[in-house]
Amino acid sequence: MLEGLLVDLVPYGKAFTDLEHRWRNHEASFYGSGGDRYFVTQAMVRRMMQEWAEERERGEDPGVAFGIRTKDGKPIGYMGINWLVPYYRLAMLGAKIGETEYWGGGYGTDALLLLLEYAFDWLDIRKAWLMTTTMNHRVMRQMEKVGFTLEAQQRTSALADGVWYDWLAYGLLREEWPGRAAVIERIGLQAREEA
Amino acid sequence: MIEGTLVDLVTFEDDFAIHMETWMNEEAWFRARLWERREPHTEDDVKKFIEKMEKNEHGALIGFQSKDGDPIGGVMFDHEWTRVRKADAIFFAGDTRYEGTDEHLDGLLMLLRYCFETRNLHRLDASALTFDEVRIDLLRRAGFVHEGTLRQHIRYDGDYVDVEVFGILADEWPGYEQKVAGLDLKPSGIEPKPKPEKKDDKDAGGAKS
Amino acid sequence: MTILHGLLVDLEPFTREYQKEKAHIYWNNESRVWAMMGECEPITRAQLNRIMEERAGAAERGYTGVHFMMRARDGNIIGSMGLNWVDYWNRAAWLGAWIGEEGYWGGGHGTDALLLMVEYAFQWLDMRRLCLGTMDINERAQRNVEKVGFRLESQERKAALVNGRWVDGLNYGMLREEWLGRDPLVERLGLREKAEQRYGRES
Repeated sequence: MLEGLLVDLVPYGKAFTDLEHRWRNHEASFYGSGGDRYFVTQAMVRRMMQEWAEERERGEDPGVAFGIRTKDGKPIGYMGINWLVPYYRLAMLGAKIGETEYWGGGYGTDALLLLLEYAFDWLDIRKAWLMTTTMNHRVMRQMEKVGFTLEAQQRTSALADGVWYDWLAYGLLREEWPGRAAVIERIGLQAREEA
Repeated sequence: MIEGTLVDLVTFEDDFAIHMETWMNEEAWFRARLWERREPHTEDDVKKFIEKMEKNEHGALIGFQSKDGDPIGGVMFDHEWTRVRKADAIFFAGDTRYEGTDEHLDGLLMLLRYCFETRNLHRLDASALTFDEVRIDLLRRAGFVHEGTLRQHIRYDGDYVDVEVFGILADEWPGYEQKVAGLDLKPSGIEPKPKPEKKDDKDAGGAKS
Repeated sequence: MTILHGLLVDLEPFTREYQKEKAHIYWNNESRVWAMMGECEPITRAQLNRIMEERAGAAERGYTGVHFMMRARDGNIIGSMGLNWVDYWNRAAWLGAWIGEEGYWGGGHGTDALLLMVEYAFQWLDMRRLCLGTMDINERAQRNVEKVGFRLESQERKAALVNGRWVDGLNYGMLREEWLGRDPLVERLGLREKAEQRYGRES
């Protein structure tokens, strides 16, 4: 378990997979998928989670998944390495905050910093990268704040509600990562006061 | 089969499959498939790969050969996204005598023709190692637009190197006929290879140690 | 069809010839004792086929090793060289080699293959550390690995029974920063001369 200021990263267990049905069918998945809107039944979710579990058992899962849980125990989303290429020491990250009231407010950033620390310090990666679209202004701002560099822009590659957007690739090299503490300091991330 | 100017697209089987046992262990292949760990591929690995591509619903492996029927290499599209109709464009000249030739370029143009004009894709992505001048030149000549550089992304012979990212949209593709008309492609006059020896496949299903 | 070119050997993908003939010979001759730390009971083709098939499917189950076939410059298949196990998290790998043809023990073949393998592991897989094991009676292997830069890290006392005698297992390791590079070592170990002696000038 990785402990942050606003959230903790924990295994992506039943508490999270039980919420997959809600998260996949609403706004949360719209951004991560680059504009897709899903119709996913409970049965489909069960099958997907089952296949994922079987993949992990066969050693075929190319990633490392964490659940994002608030300090008072509420599961709010996914943060993980979607695709780890160990022989290049390269990790492609992915995130989804399923509970929309937790968009903004630093929860996603806190989770991202925990994941980066894990990836650099425990998996000894040299580079973390991720992709988002030009409609996801929140993530674009977050990338700049945390210190990622915009590396590529794939034009007209995402279609959202009839409008074409670009997929963006952001990268962060090991030598550009000053450590979680330093980034927290620099961006002024703080624990929330309980209401 | 689809006929082109200097090359034709054909199924990737028979002689292509035999040549692949060599091609899949050489530089041209590794440069085209830069996400893979560089390691030896046995005959079984080659067979498995071809079978995987045959079953692949999001892509295809297609052979391209000269007008004399000399197998040159393969073109592929992969990771097709049906919603936004985009895919990765991959191409390799297994027979390295053809590297950088107009035949090589025509193979790529034929892939674009197939993807845009037959499969109705809207966009193709491509990437190349930053020092792979031959590939980058071909991509540019075919009309791909440079969209960015993934810094120090891939390990290559002791260093981490950049990957150049390219893309081309359907409305940037003028159509094969018009594209070729503006290019003046010339055959390289390369001698076709002798046909490869057929292997005795009675003992299929061997295993590596 | 070659991946790693050396002066005396090339490291290549395994061929059907290796699977069908050579493996069976090697697993039943003296070379097995040296390569597998004392193991030597006879093995049938059927048993061997089962073992090979298991290994062939292993990559799909997350096995990370990489294996090459060793072919001498005269074109003969002589054995294998590989990373039996790659630990990506710690960037460490365990090397294993097997020269099945006695006529190629010594003369530089093993050393050449070792240099190719170590270079591959450091250059392409970005390993930080390599290790390997051998038996105290295998003086040739000890000389080879020490010449190349491996250091003896531990000695497992009376670890294996060979020919009625208990032998120690020797564990060697090399860190990335201790690797001098293939070219300087080829120079220093006179591999070019050895290659010329055995095979004549390179064409």
